Amino acid sequence: MLAWTVRRLLISLLLIWAVATVVFTLIHLVPGDPAELLLSAGGVAPDPAAVAELRERLGLDRPIAEQYASFLGGVVRGDLGRSIVDDHPVAEEILLRLPRTLELIGAGALLAVLIGIPVGTEAALRRGTLFDRATGATAALLLAVPIFVVGTLLVLVFAQWLRWMPAGGYVPLAADPWRHLTLLTMPALAVAKGLVAVVFRMTRTAVLDTLSRDFVRTARAKGLSPSRILVRHVLRNAIIPVLTVLALHMGSLLGGTVLVEFVFNWPGMSTPLLKAVEARDYPMVVGIVLTISILFVALNLVMDLGYAALDPRIRHA
Amino acid sequence: MMATRRSVLAATAGLPLLAAAPARAQRQPGVLRFGLSSFPPSIQPWVNTGTAAATVKLLIYRGLVSFAPDGSLRGELAETWHNETPTSWVFRLRENAVFQNGDRVTSEDIRWNLEQIAAERSTAFYRAQAQGIARIETPDARTIRIVTAEPMVTLPLWFASYHMMMVSPRSPTAAGALPIGAGPFVLRSQERGVSLDLVRFDRYYKPGLPRLRGIRMIAYADENLRVAALQAGDVDLIEYVPWQAMASIEADPRLRLDATDGPFMYLTFNASRPPLSDARVRRAIAHAIRREDIVKAAFFGRGAPLEGLPIPPGSPFHDPELAAGWRYDPARARALLAEAGVPNGFSTTILSTAQYGMHKDTAEVVQQHLAAVGIQAELRLPDWPTRVTLGNRGQFDIAVMGTTTENNDPDGMSNLLDGSLPASFVRSAGLRIPRIEELLAQGRSEFDEARRRAIYAELQRVALAEVPIVGLAWRSQGYAMVPEVRGFRAMPGALNFFSGITLEEASLG
Amino acid sequence: MRKVAVPAALVAAVILVALAAPVLDLPDPVQQDIARRLAGPSADSPLGRDEFGRDVLSRLIWGARASLTVAFASAGIACVVGALLGLVGGWFRGLGELLALRSMDVVLCFPPILLALLVVTLLGPGSSTLILVLAILFLPGFVRVTYAEVLSARSHDYVEAVRALGAGPLRILLVTVLPNVAGPILVQLSLAVAAAVVLESGLSFLGLGVVPPEPSWGLMIRGARSTMAQAPLLLLWPCVALTFTILAMNLLCDALRDWVDPRTASAVRLRAVDRVLPGLVPRRRNDALLEVEGLTVEIDTPSGAIRPVQDVSFSVRAGETVAIVGESGSGKSLTAAAVMGLLPPAARIQAGAAYLDGTDLLRLDESTLRRLRGSALAMVFQDPMSSLNPVHRTGDQVAEVILAHRRLPRAVVRREVIDLFRRVGIADPELRADAFPHEMSGGMRQRVMIAMAIANNPRLLIADEPTTALDVTVQAQILDLLAGLRRQTGMALVLITHNLGVVAEIADRVVVMYAGQVVEQGETKAVFARPMHPYTRALLAAVPEGDEKPVGIPGTVPPPHAMPPGCRFAPRCPHAEEPCRTAPPVLRALDGRVVRCIRAEALLEQSASA
Repeated sequence: MLAWTVRRLLISLLLIWAVATVVFTLIHLVPGDPAELLLSAGGVAPDPAAVAELRERLGLDRPIAEQYASFLGGVVRGDLGRSIVDDHPVAEEILLRLPRTLELIGAGALLAVLIGIPVGTEAALRRGTLFDRATGATAALLLAVPIFVVGTLLVLVFAQWLRWMPAGGYVPLAADPWRHLTLLTMPALAVAKGLVAVVFRMTRTAVLDTLSRDFVRTARAKGLSPSRILVRHVLRNAIIPVLTVLALHMGSLLGGTVLVEFVFNWPGMSTPLLKAVEARDYPMVVGIVLTISILFVALNLVMDLGYAALDPRIRHA
Repeated sequence: MMATRRSVLAATAGLPLLAAAPARAQRQPGVLRFGLSSFPPSIQPWVNTGTAAATVKLLIYRGLVSFAPDGSLRGELAETWHNETPTSWVFRLRENAVFQNGDRVTSEDIRWNLEQIAAERSTAFYRAQAQGIARIETPDARTIRIVTAEPMVTLPLWFASYHMMMVSPRSPTAAGALPIGAGPFVLRSQERGVSLDLVRFDRYYKPGLPRLRGIRMIAYADENLRVAALQAGDVDLIEYVPWQAMASIEADPRLRLDATDGPFMYLTFNASRPPLSDARVRRAIAHAIRREDIVKAAFFGRGAPLEGLPIPPGSPFHDPELAAGWRYDPARARALLAEAGVPNGFSTTILSTAQYGMHKDTAEVVQQHLAAVGIQAELRLPDWPTRVTLGNRGQFDIAVMGTTTENNDPDGMSNLLDGSLPASFVRSAGLRIPRIEELLAQGRSEFDEARRRAIYAELQRVALAEVPIVGLAWRSQGYAMVPEVRGFRAMPGALNFFSGITLEEASLG
Repeated sequence: MRKVAVPAALVAAVILVALAAPVLDLPDPVQQDIARRLAGPSADSPLGRDEFGRDVLSRLIWGARASLTVAFASAGIACVVGALLGLVGGWFRGLGELLALRSMDVVLCFPPILLALLVVTLLGPGSSTLILVLAILFLPGFVRVTYAEVLSARSHDYVEAVRALGAGPLRILLVTVLPNVAGPILVQLSLAVAAAVVLESGLSFLGLGVVPPEPSWGLMIRGARSTMAQAPLLLLWPCVALTFTILAMNLLCDALRDWVDPRTASAVRLRAVDRVLPGLVPRRRNDALLEVEGLTVEIDTPSGAIRPVQDVSFSVRAGETVAIVGESGSGKSLTAAAVMGLLPPAARIQAGAAYLDGTDLLRLDESTLRRLRGSALAMVFQDPMSSLNPVHRTGDQVAEVILAHRRLPRAVVRREVIDLFRRVGIADPELRADAFPHEMSGGMRQRVMIAMAIANNPRLLIADEPTTALDVTVQAQILDLLAGLRRQTGMALVLITHNLGVVAEIADRVVVMYAGQVVEQGETKAVFARPMHPYTRALLAAVPEGDEKPVGIPGTVPPPHAMPPGCRFAPRCPHAEEPCRTAPPVLRALDGRVVRCIRAEALLEQSASA
């Protein structure tokens, strides 16, 4: 067990290092000079001397290997550096933004589970019926209509026409819990949009698959009621692949809620990532990706623990 | 399955349930809510960090002079100014101007600011200009004399820029601390990436101003959402109104649009190799493009064709004849191409960016019109940073660019036209036109209005023939607000991004 | 196959329209006409014009080319490379596994948008870059699917067999493993294509996709979004095209999955089970506990209805052990399933009755039947591993059947469970009740299944090949247990098996089935001593006995849709004569038994004289 844990940790560290190195290399490879970009905001020509000065101040004139070494050194000390754009500590910015993204993904996943699992189960049980077809088509529609269209429509209907909701934005939970939740509703729905379709489809498949298992026949032979068979025997087993897929998608959402954050003005972690790439804010890009890969590794660990809880066969394997 | 149906219902019911209660934040009396187009990356008094930051800077800081809503210069920290000799300027400071820490603004403070801007390690926007100052004299606490190495007629214009803000030398220097200004509002708090809260500065030097108790600036990066926020009543005023929304805002009795033409789109060239090194080819391109199509397609008709150099119609340097020198004339374009030895056109590329819709749309229309005269151009649409780098390195053939000049003075065009300046993405690459460089230098040191007009008329004539850039379209820059917002004005032409300064006179109700 | 045809046709239609773009005589999709920008539908542009005055219909169809090319190319590349990596990783393990899988984790750690941004910025936007980006994004999915399938395929008997024969790894991978993992990969492929169409639109929205003015659905949506207020229809068309394509891909992928894995092909309807049959047969009473009469089960297949169980009759008296024997495919298990009311959904009872104590089980509604199942009527299945739910403790699974039929306090149930475990011979019952199925041996699991079956003192226990999946030594223990329990409780036992040795040992009577029909029935001793039907004989001859070499039965059971016109055993029967092949023989009483052979007497004489 100890050897397994150590091995796993080592692989995780290696993985994180690989990701950080790849992203560090790539972001330095792409054209664009952060100092120059910073000073030419708004399409004006900066003074080359000022650009050179800033470049030196930011340490961008040093050889790339040296920059990489000092970056790695910083990471080992737990220092992710400072943003090139506003000199704000990267770690601080991430700590500020990450909970908001996690909250958004969590709320979206919750909605996806609450909607996707019951509807997917029902569709599986009613396979081939109108209900099955209609929900399947709806899922395809949800996948097909891009988030920026759905988001804009939601804003149009609920904020502009009905004036029920603010058009997006963010208020800290501590400052105004009610308004915080109100503002969370629409972006969470938009995140849930894609997840619902995924959870729905996975649930439907998994339930169909489980229904054909022998132990379901056993359960029927035992004279159990359909609802008990469904909940205790079918769903209990079908939930495992559903959660796997959900977790995988949640992982990819970590840096992938850009469009939702953009459309609803939710100040999560994806927006700074995009902006940092646009500004070639190297420390910010690498810092955020590093955070995401650490979370990804952690998520994998949680997933494995979750499996063990759900599937006793894994517990002892 | 009953349980599951209920849960489905509950999940969908959550939405209207949340909506039933009033979700909108209460408007605080006297506090204006301003929808910014992006969260200011950083607020630095001397460094260019974009237009969103400029608006905030115009609230917190003041310079020696500023632009009045009509575009003319007016005093701020300086009451009066005049030039004693072509190279010597005297500014007389106001008596009641204080920094927000309570200190009086003195001539020594101003000298300190200018020295910092010109310093060896400075990244200030006007660093080069400040380094062109030969001497600063402070005969008394309220008088400052600035002596430049060269005659500089546009010097007061620099001092009106939001890159020339004056701050207290006794500002905190800790990382992230904001220098102390002398503007009408004080930054009280900010939610990073979300909003800024400003409150009025009670000892602002203009009596009765500011009228507002405070300003809450909220960043909305998505233009559609910015409009939605205004229409939903979340904010009172927004900047950068998207062109497609202008018509509906004008039609909405609950809203008001204040838009002026200011920024413009143009083409730059890499003239280091044929055929674009031939002025006739560049002129052919200038005549090949129907500007109305750009205005319609990229700006929903919100703008105006730009068929000459970007000198706004209201300017004393504007000449209607010269302003239409590159009017749409495909036959002329073909003739010029033939004259240049490429009668069947040629293949080339257009560099633009997919990151900004107006750059992409403009490029698409230009591509179409060039094809009509035989020039087959392929679009290159990298992200903005790459586009900037390629532009700076001269790695392009034709490039689409959009900007605004520093101010409404024709000298503001130097950056776009002066090939002697270091290579930059804002101007053509590998293109020196000595006559234009001469005329720009003359215009800068000529104090006589009439003679300046003649110089710039000549400049326009040379430019029409030599084509250092090709003007394409003025674009409308709009602010939209609820009618209760009074006193805020969109400033004309190149000064549009200075409009934030009028917030000191704005009131609600 | 037919189910795949419709979605495949839909997908093909989309592809065909895209391919046909050049010959459709459409207006130039990039030709601008700014004067008519945002014009509504008209005769020359049926779907209207976009923000540059370009024809929307033309752009939609030409855009399909770009969008679908990107989708298929990226999914295809990811599929090939991913499958290869997965194969290598799964087969060679070790370093291959590390490289193949961990490198995918690196990809997964990258937010998709960032990956797209970086790759596009490095290589410049355009369709080929987009294909590369999407292929990288899809790669981990393919690697993981293939890897998992290869791991499971490795352990399969046929792969082991090929390995034992000394085939090289490459050959095994390509010939044996790849076809088996093809199914899941195919499904993954169709999913990836659908996802690619969506991603293309998202990336084009961010300016990272197809380069204008070349049309693509994503670019159309991007353009239409800004004119949403003026021309909402512009947004509708590409979204409709996207939805339709994705729907078609989803349907195709579902159909493919069913085709590849037919187990999920038909749904179990848990609720609609009231299958009341027409024609009420009057009740009869006799001393039989279970009386099956003329049971015929029908299954609809694409090639017509088949009857895997036809006119089967037998009876079981209280306390009696009856064995049903026959080869696989003889209809034994379906007969049992029909009695229990556990027929697979595709199967239905065409005719017949099954009286339990005079009540026709086949005509009971589901809830009444449910009360009988697990109490008066219990069943033990063939494979105790798959028949037990892997995620619940065995004791809980036994407790469940008690609670389903009797209201008892938890503690009492627990005591009963432990007692049951003890009765079926599980050592350490307290401990074992808390174990999961996978923690037990096969024999132990089957004991749990038996404990479950006898928990409510059933009158009749049907054991469907209860020992087939077990070791030989364990088989005997389980059979002893069943026999012992029958003696203790006085329940009747129906034992379905193909092991005649077992039958001889514990069955009072034996029912021999062949190709869905009963061919012989009688007292076990009599049948074994003097088999009347040639099939019974052949079965007995196939039992290894002492040093004598068993004689196999040549040929196989005919498939249900290709039954011979005469006696169903005739093609394999050494004694068949012309009349056997022309008319189907009837079941007739003979010498205290029933037999379905016109030559039974002749054969009896023959064997007596031999």
